[in-house]
Amino acid sequence: MSPFHFDGLVWHWPIAIYLFLAGMSAGAIFFAILLKYFCLKQHAHHSSFVIAACIIAPLTIWAGLGILVIDLTKPLDFWKILVFYNPLSVMSLGVMVLLVFQLFMFAWIAIVFAVPLSAWLSTRLPLAERLLQQLTRYEAGITGLTMILSLALGAYTGFLLSALPGYPLLNNPVLPLLFLISGLSSGAAGALLLGVLLKGQADSREVKFIHKIEIPLILTELVMLFTFFAGLVLSGGQRQVAAWNALGPGFWGWVFWGGIIGLGLSLPLAMNLFMTASAQRRFSYVAATASMSLLGVLLLRHFILYTGQMTSL
Amino acid sequence: MDKSKRLFLQGAGAILAGISLYQTRLATAREPQASKVKYALLHDETLCIGCDACTLACREANQVPADVTRLTMVRSGPFGEYPNRRYHFSRQSCQQCENAPCVTVCPTGAAYIDAQTGIVKVDDWKCVGCQYCIAACPYKVRFIHPVTRAADKCDFCADSRLQHGQQPACVSACPTKALIFGDISNQLAPITRLIKHNAVDRDKVSLGTRPKLFKIRAPSGEVIL
Ligand code: SF4
Ligand code: SF4
Ligand code: SF4
Repeated sequence: MSPFHFDGLVWHWPIAIYLFLAGMSAGAIFFAILLKYFCLKQHAHHSSFVIAACIIAPLTIWAGLGILVIDLTKPLDFWKILVFYNPLSVMSLGVMVLLVFQLFMFAWIAIVFAVPLSAWLSTRLPLAERLLQQLTRYEAGITGLTMILSLALGAYTGFLLSALPGYPLLNNPVLPLLFLISGLSSGAAGALLLGVLLKGQADSREVKFIHKIEIPLILTELVMLFTFFAGLVLSGGQRQVAAWNALGPGFWGWVFWGGIIGLGLSLPLAMNLFMTASAQRRFSYVAATASMSLLGVLLLRHFILYTGQMTSL
Repeated sequence: MDKSKRLFLQGAGAILAGISLYQTRLATAREPQASKVKYALLHDETLCIGCDACTLACREANQVPADVTRLTMVRSGPFGEYPNRRYHFSRQSCQQCENAPCVTVCPTGAAYIDAQTGIVKVDDWKCVGCQYCIAACPYKVRFIHPVTRAADKCDFCADSRLQHGQQPACVSACPTKALIFGDISNQLAPITRLIKHNAVDRDKVSLGTRPKLFKIRAPSGEVIL
């Protein structure tokens, strides 16, 4: 059985990349919000890391949506998803969440950069500036909703797959939480990587703040992966078969143990602990750790998508 | 606790509540839909000789292109020694689930259950080809039609024959009368009586899909005594 082509394979790698990008967008905004309210307060718009997150969030969500549309067999008919809704379909709900998320994401980004933005707008587009002033009055509500929507988006990437009844590995209640957590950590990693590339200080308080959250996040992800597969193995039958097909020797087994557990989770965890203990943060450390995390999450999406379809009930 | 932290906790609470509400919503949606007529199909495997007349008739009646199919006869065996050597034939096609996963997941409603006949159908025009239904169908019988680019599968010949008062093509073509088609809400229909008086089986009932492709199993050839 070839790892990328086998009987029963319906969804290919574009879906994995779409799930990766949507999760990353959600995670980037989530961390931008945390950075602003728990770490930087009014100075948020000066931070390279907040700027990075606010660049990543829209770009990834658009790239993801683009991939989703191109992957349809009738790409030109994609508007029908926006016009016809099925409230029971996870995909339909997800599209709704995606649209509303983008709305609030932009509103929130506008609020964060309200000071420089209104200075720029006041002479050129006074009407837009007044609108912005109105928007800032609802900062608390918009922030709360953006937060909720980013979590919903992150979880949706998992619900999309867990709603498939025929695949024991995917049809798993832990999957949405696993994807949510890994999506959040990919957002953090993306913000860190682009942040240092945008000349953010590697030993700034933003980096320390994100690392402080990333350590428990990685530990949670490890626990979830354990629960995910322990649950499958203990259920017996095809669920157990699915777990061993995924984790056992073979291409995807290597991806899991070497790529996801090794490079994607253990290495960043060790580097984060080292950086926290030694109080030493250099550009290369931060960038390398973030790249490893991103690679790990990307591999996880592919791993789950492909091995999930390998075994059916 | 400062304001932003409180906001965060409220948000987290709301999303958990939202998820659990959605789950209960899904659970209640699993009630079978009621329709007046309830078409079903019975495959009597003891009569089936595996001639594939049904597969060919289906292809012709519904203009199914060569590289895809609505119906496959799965052959297993041979079992036993000559002269008692035999094969098993099992029908693989849309099971016309009453609680159809393909309908639940379809984002546009292109996969739907026809209210008049209880037949699971596809609206070619509404379908965008996301293939969510293909992944969701536990019986692996849906495919993308190479010409329409929409999802397709057996619809009991609803458009090609039923509406002209004819039986499904596969049923008419079967030389041994191994396929019986009819309305199981009608107590007097031959199919209803056969289902009542035989130990009928259905595939993957444990998934709760309530399939309407019934099977009378052939004596179990694969058991080695
Ligand atoms: S067998 Fe598959 S395609 Fe047919 S109704 Fe059931 S889920 Fe849908
Ligand atoms: S492929 Fe078509 S019928 Fe199937 S879920 Fe997508 S839109 Fe619905
Ligand atoms: S009922 Fe019609 S569409 Fe379905 S398998 Fe038979 S011939 Fe094909």
